[in-house]
Amino acid sequence: MSETKDKAKIKEAVKRRKRETYTPVVPDLQLGFVHHNVDCIGCRACEIACKDKNGLAAGPRFRRVQYIEGGTYPEVFAYKVNMSCNHCETPACLPTCPTGALFKRKQDGIVDIDSTLCIGCRRCEAACPFGAPQFDPSDNLVKKCNMCVDEIEAGRKPYCVMACMMRVLDIGPVEQIWNGELQSVAIGPNDEVSRQVQNMADVELTKPSIGFIAHSKGKVK
Amino acid sequence: MSTKQNEQDILQRLNLSRRSFLKSSAAGGAAIATGGLVELQTAKEARAFAYEPYPRDDQLETVVTSCAHNCGSRHMLVAHKWKDVIVRLSTDDGRYQRNGYFGKDSNEEPQLRACLRGRSYRQRLYSAERLLYPMMRVGERGEGKFKRVSWDEALDQIARKMIHLKDTYGRTALLDQSYAGASYGVLHKSDQIEGLLGRFLGMFGSRTSSWSVPSYQGTTFSSRMTFGTIEDGNEDDAFAHSKLMIMWGWNPAYTFHGGNTFMYMRMAKQRGCKFVLVDPQYTDSAAAYDAWWIPIKPNTDAAMLAGMAHYIFTNELQDQAFIDRFCQGMDAGTMPEWAQGKENFKDYILGTYDGEPKTPEWAAKICGVPAKDIKKLADMYAKTKPAALKASWAPGRNAYGEQYNRMAAALQAMTGNIGNLGGSAEGVGKAWHAEAVAYPYDQYANIWFQAIKSDRWAHCVLNYPNVKREEIGLWQREDETDGQIPNIKGIFWQGSDWFNQLTNINKEIEAINKLELVVCMDSTITPSGLYADFLLPIATHFERHDVALPWYKGHYYIHRPKVIEPMGESKTDFQVFTELAYRIGGDVFGKAYNPKANRDYFHVNDNVDEAYLREWWDTKVIPHQHVNMSWDEFKQRGVYKFNLAQPHVAFRDQIENGTRFQTPSGKIEILATSLAQITDWKKTMYGYEIPYIPKWIEPWESLNSPKTSKFPFHLISPHPRWRTHSIFNNCSWLRETYEQEVTMNAADARKLDIKTGDTVEVWNDRGKCVVPVYVTERCMPGVAVLHEGAWIDLDENGVDRAGNPDMLTLDEPSPAGAFAYNTVLCNIRKTDLEHRPGWDKLATSRAHVFRRDL
Repeated sequence: MSETKDKAKIKEAVKRRKRETYTPVVPDLQLGFVHHNVDCIGCRACEIACKDKNGLAAGPRFRRVQYIEGGTYPEVFAYKVNMSCNHCETPACLPTCPTGALFKRKQDGIVDIDSTLCIGCRRCEAACPFGAPQFDPSDNLVKKCNMCVDEIEAGRKPYCVMACMMRVLDIGPVEQIWNGELQSVAIGPNDEVSRQVQNMADVELTKPSIGFIAHSKGKVK
Repeated sequence: MSTKQNEQDILQRLNLSRRSFLKSSAAGGAAIATGGLVELQTAKEARAFAYEPYPRDDQLETVVTSCAHNCGSRHMLVAHKWKDVIVRLSTDDGRYQRNGYFGKDSNEEPQLRACLRGRSYRQRLYSAERLLYPMMRVGERGEGKFKRVSWDEALDQIARKMIHLKDTYGRTALLDQSYAGASYGVLHKSDQIEGLLGRFLGMFGSRTSSWSVPSYQGTTFSSRMTFGTIEDGNEDDAFAHSKLMIMWGWNPAYTFHGGNTFMYMRMAKQRGCKFVLVDPQYTDSAAAYDAWWIPIKPNTDAAMLAGMAHYIFTNELQDQAFIDRFCQGMDAGTMPEWAQGKENFKDYILGTYDGEPKTPEWAAKICGVPAKDIKKLADMYAKTKPAALKASWAPGRNAYGEQYNRMAAALQAMTGNIGNLGGSAEGVGKAWHAEAVAYPYDQYANIWFQAIKSDRWAHCVLNYPNVKREEIGLWQREDETDGQIPNIKGIFWQGSDWFNQLTNINKEIEAINKLELVVCMDSTITPSGLYADFLLPIATHFERHDVALPWYKGHYYIHRPKVIEPMGESKTDFQVFTELAYRIGGDVFGKAYNPKANRDYFHVNDNVDEAYLREWWDTKVIPHQHVNMSWDEFKQRGVYKFNLAQPHVAFRDQIENGTRFQTPSGKIEILATSLAQITDWKKTMYGYEIPYIPKWIEPWESLNSPKTSKFPFHLISPHPRWRTHSIFNNCSWLRETYEQEVTMNAADARKLDIKTGDTVEVWNDRGKCVVPVYVTERCMPGVAVLHEGAWIDLDENGVDRAGNPDMLTLDEPSPAGAFAYNTVLCNIRKTDLEHRPGWDKLATSRAHVFRRDL
């Protein structure tokens, strides 16, 4: 892959990147994910759908269903926290990129990466508190969830959402997710959406565009 | 474009509400063309889509098909292909059905979304283990040395050998081990009874069939005895109406049983249904449905159910009106005339006959569940209406597993939770009835000359002729061959990896070396295949024309066109059998086997397959099931979903209208008429006595037996989520999300100084395997959990490094035929032996088997 890179173009991008002061993009509308931590059966169909959609080999995982369990036998509990890229309001990855390959889309707030500019330096990977950027050793590139922009542009939803057998993963304008206005079967009749759950990096770091229906043991006061 | 407009546009595109969707489709394609997001760019912004060149779904050809493996479900797959290559798969999104649109997902016609296994099909299809050419063994069995041969040579040799074996050893020489791994379609079918292989070998005139079903024979027996049918299931949407659901050994979060069962159960939870899980493990199902977990010792379920029955009877909580009207042998009042002097269920429970009342306290000592919890659950189950006791298959895969299922059916009946919406009579749980067979299913179908319990073949081969009929569960015959022990000299595997999947693998290895012909027909090299003489490459369901039907629950058909051309020299199994028939018996056999085909079928099969399927649709589906969609429209859409007037509930007609049950008495038979009349058990396929009412019988090994001093852990081997039995074990996507590992309780692990990630050996007198360990509080002490289906990988000492639990299981089935997969004691210790998790690290590398001539 690297042989086919346009080196002049990358050099130009680096120069431009140095010239410009980074001003965060304020999107017209911010899309985000919502996930029900309790009702999710943890089957990972979303993960596999994502791998297939993005043509990834074993290794990089854009979407990660995390299993949390605790308690002492026989009083135990378990729930799932499902995350890919949180398409943050202030992405930590973006300013670290030396070539400006990472960008945030104005129209929907999706954070994407231009693979023709990525040099595989993996700085973004280190910067992200949620582990979203994934290094793919097969072509020496960092890749990440782009919320299936091609599907969104075609009037559909991302592969992971459409794969969810339990219908507990969805997308929508993140303000609507947070204030409970989003019409989605992912959110049950009496469910409250929270921005922060246990063991997740502080949302104030990057303001991730994601909401959860938290497990009673996963709630943050 | 203004910000506001842009926002509107996205909302519409996301189809966030039905109304906004309609608005956007009314506007038509023009709006999309002019308002496209791609146009919106600033100088700084890169392309809207970063991974160019990247074919988008709409630039690819879309073909609706389905998954096809043997998992208890069936979902839609949508292939997006470029020329003859499937680029990616998606699933049902509501667009393909009649009156469908993107996002349509109603309660009546929900989307049929594929699970993680279905979504990883491309890895299986294009795997390095894909079998592309006919191969012939050149090394020892199991060694994995093969050479490539032509179809002509392979089929000639197989045909000659078949004739030789039949002439020399007779009509029982060839063992049919077909199973549903390859296809649950209507035309290219692999199955014990309805399969293509069974019809082929039956017509050929040499076939020993395998009659017991590994997954649920105990349950099948119970459903047949109690209700007279295995169609004792409700459709998945009925689950949304329960007030209480007891998941007994049932983990739908792993098995995805039936269409959308798990989703409707979520709906029940939102409506206030309470969930209970009786299981040695706190499963993901327990977590998702917030269930009350009752840990129970494996293989003691019938005792706990008896304790519950005792509580219900002694507190007079039973539905006596229901019992009096619908049951036989529940109590003294429901005993038939002819059975005077026989035992009834209530008096058995109360201890009238043996002086041992089956009290909750009695049960607690056996099953390890405190008596107060047994009483509490019994009270909840008797008082909550409607309540579903979902008696799953796993606890039935045990020594006397049928007693557990029979006992559960008795509880379902005594509480009157049968035939009502929100109740459950499951059991097997098959619900809606599909038209299942499109190939010629005639007087030649399922001809057999002897039939044995499926996991007794090795015993039969190794001990022939000194085998007693009851040892192998010989099915009775009406002619002079009744009782003759089959002289098995060859095996055919069609859509089956049974060598890897049946019990006591070490015994199988010993037995297979006594055979003269082993043929494996598969699309993939399997562990079984390594022991075959011939490997025949069979086209997958992506490479042949068929129709998928739901297996267990769900009411729909999905069209399965030939999405791509068969890879390599693959042929369909129907083509192979037809060609073999021509080679063995000329036009007479060939034409009789495949009446619509000519000799050239081996090379051209499209028109013939189409003719069978069209005929099936026109003469069976349309008239029998009142389907008002033509075959051509069905092909064009890809799916037909039935819209039932009300949720299908098993036995509704019997309960509401008094129709007879399909049992001899026409009632729910707690006392089984047919069992009560058997005098010579040796002459039945069971071989050994089975009580005519449900009873607790001590299994041959459990945590209560003295053997625990040597083998202190009870090993259970449930169905994994990341494989369908052994299928998909070679998919790296699935292997990176789940590991083959033995799960054990944290306190047990501390005693053995074992931590998560350590490698352990798990062993007993029958065999040994090596796996990593997962230590958790979610598992009952004394229990070890190792999922079935890992591909065996033996080292020089015969130790399985992949972690297949069937190295340890016993090939001694329960009298009713239930495989005793979960009746296993074992020991565990830390080891220095290396675990080998997948094909790429196997002792016998699989890839070279196909790609090189040795």
